[in-house]
Amino acid sequence: MIIVEPKSFEEIEQMTKGCGRLLVLGCETCSAMCFAGGQRQVAEIASSIRMSKKMSQDQTEVLDDTVARQCELEFLDHVKDKVAACNTVLSLSCGAGVQTMAKMFPDRRILPAVNTKFIGRATKRGEWMEMCMACGDCILERTAGICPVTRCAKGLLNGPCGGATGGICEVSKDQPCVWQEIYHALKRLNMLHYLKQKPQVKDWPVHPDKVVRKDLREVGAT
Amino acid sequence: MDNTTHIEYQDFPPCQMACPILTDAREYVQFIAERRFEEAFASIRKLNPLPRVCGRICMHPCEIACKRGQIEEPISIAALKRFAADGPWADHYKVALPGKSTGYKVAVVGSGPAGLAAAHDLALLGHHVTIFEALPVLGGMLRTGIPAYRLPKDVLDEQIQTILDLGVEVKTGVLIGEDIKLSNLFEHGYKAVFVAIGAHEDRKLGIAGEDEIEGVVSAVSFLRQVNQGENPEIGKKVAVIGGGNTAIDSARATLRLCADAVYIVYRRSRKEMPAEEEEIEEAAHEGIQLFYLTSPLEIIGQDGKVSALKCIKNELGEPDASGRRSPKHVPGSEFAIDVDMVIAAIGQVPDSSLLADELELTERGNRIHLNVPNTLATTLAGVFAGGDAVTGSATAIEAIAAGKKVAISIDCYLREESPPTASRTEVVETKKLPSGVVEKTQKFARCHNISLPIDERLKGFDEVKSVFSEDLAVQEALRCLHCGIGASVSTERCISCLNCVQVCPVGAPATTKMGEINIDRFLCQACGICALECPVQAIDIGLHPRGELGQQIKKAVSMSEDTAVVGFFDYQGSFGPDDVSSLKKQYPGIAPIMVFGLRRVDTSDVLNAFEAGADAVLLAGCPSAREPFAAASSGVTQRMAQAKAVLDVLGLDGRRLQIFDMPERGLVDEEHLTEFMHTIADLGPNPLR
Amino acid sequence: MSFRESLESGKFLVTAEVGPGKGTDVEHLLKDADIIKNRVDAVNVTDLQSSVMRLGSMAFSHLLTDMGIEPIFQMTGRDRNRLALQSDLLSAWVLGIRNVLALTGDHPTMGDHPHAKPVFDLDSVSLLEMINKLNSGYDMAGNELKGVPEFLPGAVVNPGADNEAALDLQIMKMEKKIEAGAKFFQTQAVYDIDLFEKFIKRVEGFKVPIIGGVILLKSAGMARFMNKNVAGVLVPTPLIKEMTDTKDKVKKSVEIAARIVKRLKNLCQGVHIMALGWEKTIPAVLDQADI
Ligand SMILES: Cc1cc2nc3c(=O)[nH]c(=O)nc-3n(C[C@H](O)[C@H](O)[C@H](O)COP(=O)(O)OP(=O)(O)OC[C@H]3O[C@@H](n4cnc5c(N)ncnc54)[C@H](O)[C@@H]3O)c2cc1C
Ligand code: SF4
Ligand code: SF4
Ligand code: SF4
Repeated sequence: MIIVEPKSFEEIEQMTKGCGRLLVLGCETCSAMCFAGGQRQVAEIASSIRMSKKMSQDQTEVLDDTVARQCELEFLDHVKDKVAACNTVLSLSCGAGVQTMAKMFPDRRILPAVNTKFIGRATKRGEWMEMCMACGDCILERTAGICPVTRCAKGLLNGPCGGATGGICEVSKDQPCVWQEIYHALKRLNMLHYLKQKPQVKDWPVHPDKVVRKDLREVGAT
Repeated sequence: MDNTTHIEYQDFPPCQMACPILTDAREYVQFIAERRFEEAFASIRKLNPLPRVCGRICMHPCEIACKRGQIEEPISIAALKRFAADGPWADHYKVALPGKSTGYKVAVVGSGPAGLAAAHDLALLGHHVTIFEALPVLGGMLRTGIPAYRLPKDVLDEQIQTILDLGVEVKTGVLIGEDIKLSNLFEHGYKAVFVAIGAHEDRKLGIAGEDEIEGVVSAVSFLRQVNQGENPEIGKKVAVIGGGNTAIDSARATLRLCADAVYIVYRRSRKEMPAEEEEIEEAAHEGIQLFYLTSPLEIIGQDGKVSALKCIKNELGEPDASGRRSPKHVPGSEFAIDVDMVIAAIGQVPDSSLLADELELTERGNRIHLNVPNTLATTLAGVFAGGDAVTGSATAIEAIAAGKKVAISIDCYLREESPPTASRTEVVETKKLPSGVVEKTQKFARCHNISLPIDERLKGFDEVKSVFSEDLAVQEALRCLHCGIGASVSTERCISCLNCVQVCPVGAPATTKMGEINIDRFLCQACGICALECPVQAIDIGLHPRGELGQQIKKAVSMSEDTAVVGFFDYQGSFGPDDVSSLKKQYPGIAPIMVFGLRRVDTSDVLNAFEAGADAVLLAGCPSAREPFAAASSGVTQRMAQAKAVLDVLGLDGRRLQIFDMPERGLVDEEHLTEFMHTIADLGPNPLR
Repeated sequence: MSFRESLESGKFLVTAEVGPGKGTDVEHLLKDADIIKNRVDAVNVTDLQSSVMRLGSMAFSHLLTDMGIEPIFQMTGRDRNRLALQSDLLSAWVLGIRNVLALTGDHPTMGDHPHAKPVFDLDSVSLLEMINKLNSGYDMAGNELKGVPEFLPGAVVNPGADNEAALDLQIMKMEKKIEAGAKFFQTQAVYDIDLFEKFIKRVEGFKVPIIGGVILLKSAGMARFMNKNVAGVLVPTPLIKEMTDTKDKVKKSVEIAARIVKRLKNLCQGVHIMALGWEKTIPAVLDQADI
């Protein structure tokens, strides 16, 4: 999933100064799972901003709500009246959600309440790790399911840089050298020869990337 | 219409499920934990017309089922019932009044717990009840069986009086079957009859010497004499044969009547003994000697009087049909006990001979045969039966259950309606807790009420057990694990983030392959941790839902005039009503809100309090030794640090929020509180007010 | 003899290294180069060594050619994507640069601009492939070149890997580099000759010349620092002791280096002396090592 991290309240307070009537809008998929965008966080932030506004004699109201995902126009449709009734929306969703909001409501200011970090997973409670860079050309079959593009600091595709000490990456001192991990995993699978495969040069995606699936049935077609 | 209600195990906590009248023990235990004693009593009393009786002598199947029992020891549910029922608040209880008169007359034969409960419920339904009792006194075995040191006569009198106050008539000294035939009752205008004559005939020992030798008595008649103050003749050395309550009571009564030595002879081992564990302990404690795995062989007489009891040792064989291991004599292990009195207490059967011509009896045991077990209807139209008379000697609460059930049956019968049939999943045993859960649950010793010292006891028939003090009762009630009233997930809101799965200290939430979360209601202990960690507020706790907290906070702030301090106090601390009232008096600005652990307070609750205008918020948590979940408190500090940070950014000052550790005794440490109140005074009022 | 010719002749090679500094001042670097000019076969010019922003490798390599010194132009994949890398190589060729050492490069976080966006579009192996492709007259996209370079591509290998996995991976990568066109290898500094010998045994069969790395040990502190922080470098304790015990550090340092060079003569096809500012001492090292 997309991993996001809440912005500090200082930053949010700065951002929302003089924002007028505000809607604090949660996003209950990835963002909520990261403890950054669920109803619970919405309640906290909304209450905090209400207090902040009161403190500075700002009479404007703070509303709150959540949708399943802010990156879908269909879900946003449910809050369109609320958005219309506000000047600004503080979105607790990832960058995709914030931008979908901005697209759907071009006349409203949409502010981000979280920092979008990466695609990853929760490794333990309160800790998430980057797993995939969305490079657009997956090579995990050759690397025993461990992504060097993402997890090697240099994204090397042909083996390690030689800088690891004691199996630890020379760059991220708290991470193992991912190539050594790949080595051990391949060895376990009796597939070490995969490391000798023809050198790779990656075809990087063109940003902003787009996926068009020609194989899907067109809507309405029979 | 199908009136069948099927009661599933899941619907009730184990304690309630085990109770024949489905008393909601969890509810009243909880009320006691919250010091809501009057409500605790009401919760009991609405189902049970004899709460003070049951609080003393009930065999409490609830405790046997209690989940706490798997952790260390069950909750003292019965003792808590007595506490709730004995307290002065019980007087404030508004008893239900009889319903609108139906004009129907109902006869109840026998004034034991079955008859009394039936009379009570029938009266409430508007029927005119007359109790026919053969003896001059009311109460059945409660009066003539159970000795006063366990159930004082005045308590019983008071309990019976509340029932009679409903307009129930009583005709004592009437032996139905002899003085009046059952069928004759209809001629007297009774439209229905409930036969609850109990089981008053002691089973014969079936050994040589039993009938001819003087000094062999039946326990029931012996205890009847004792309980009616007739001071029966007593031996110096007495052997009581049997292992039930009757045996123990007979033995303990003889001891109080100044026997020198009292023995109990029981054929199986202690484990199989049907008498209540605590009673057995008390008996031994009082000096009664117990011979386990021993069967009487013969009563030996001298000059026509008992001189010894010849016994033989047993060993336990294979389990029989009832699952109990049957005793087998060990050849050559005969021995004799020197005694001059033998009391036979090996079980009672109903004395139903007088009714045999009108009612069908069971082949064995002379019990009244039920034609329709579900309605307790006998073979004679309009005549119902229940209690020991039907089951053979059982327990008071089962008799009460029969009385309550028959009230509904008779009511339906009189109204010519079909009776509701409630089928109930018989749960023999409470599910077993996984060992990991047992390990992780903090152990808290069961509280015991103080008993009378032995020499005081043996002087007479004074009640042995005292009632819990308020503090002890609360402490005991706090041990409850809140079975089945914990977390539930709204599948509509849940986003399968698995946080609940990760944070639950007992592993109650589990996920399906498709990501749905199921919280095992049996495992859940309602700690509320998951509810706070759920990012989308999909979880709520049956015990004190979150909505209630929100309302309390608003109310607390709005009610205060000067300084408004919202104080969250942990129920689990050790404090009394005095502590609360003195805090209120000394600091009128503090509005206390009681919570089950600070772990139930969320960041947004605290922020909401400030938003509503609170000048400060304090949280006082119980000392960690009393915290049921070791890992639960740290989250509080983190959450509050987060709230403090917001207050700082807002310029409200994080010092307005503070967490206190509750002292050993009381709500909050004086010194720290004073300091805190000074800080608040220095900071001035919340500008948001 | 050009570096390529020397390499092919099988003679024992000596290379050295210079690292351009921050700013446009190249005077003393040129002076250092001049001192060793006649004693070495080629001089490596580092490419923003340790990810610290400095004067570029291409420009200084060019200055060396002007002086009649043959440069080995070091090129990393850290800062340029494949467009820039290819373009820079063509530029280098027209500026007279013939030898390229292809490296992955340190991560920007190691240097003085830690938040620079790392590029690593190509790594050492694909860089070598690309050089080969240019040599064959095409760019990476397969377009034909007008005017074709003839670079001598080299690569590095770290013989002192600290665990089996790391060593296996190094050797596998070395093979890949050879396959991708590497014609010689320069190694990380060697202090533990026995370990190096073991490594050489394992790669003998590759039949590609290896130039053993020698870093002048300037002090005991430096030795300890390298042991702790530089992957694959292990200065044995007796050497450290020698450095602590000595009064004349420079003399000792030269003595140790010469000793290592002497032993390497029998093990590989050359030495790569990294003097780290002490370029002046290189002639002495070579003298003492009888070269
Ligand atoms: C010594 C002893 C100790 C016990 N201790 C406990 C205990 O600790 N906890 C517990 O739960 N249970 C205990 N029990 C069992 C419990 O008392 C009985 O299960 C319960 O009282 C049965 O209630 P009942 O209403 O069916 O019958 P009973 O209580 O036996 O009442 C029957 C009544 O009917 C009257 N009667 C009989 N025949 C006629 C007739 N023909 N006409 C009119 N009236 C008649 C009797 O006089 C009696 O008053 C004990 C029993 C005994 C004997
Ligand atoms: S722990 Fe509480 S709810 Fe559970 S069985 Fe015991 S008394 Fe009932
Ligand atoms: S309330 Fe506590 S015990 Fe129950 S599921 Fe939630 S975390 Fe587990
Ligand atoms: S914490 Fe809430 S949203 Fe997450 S899985 Fe549990 S119930 Fe569902």
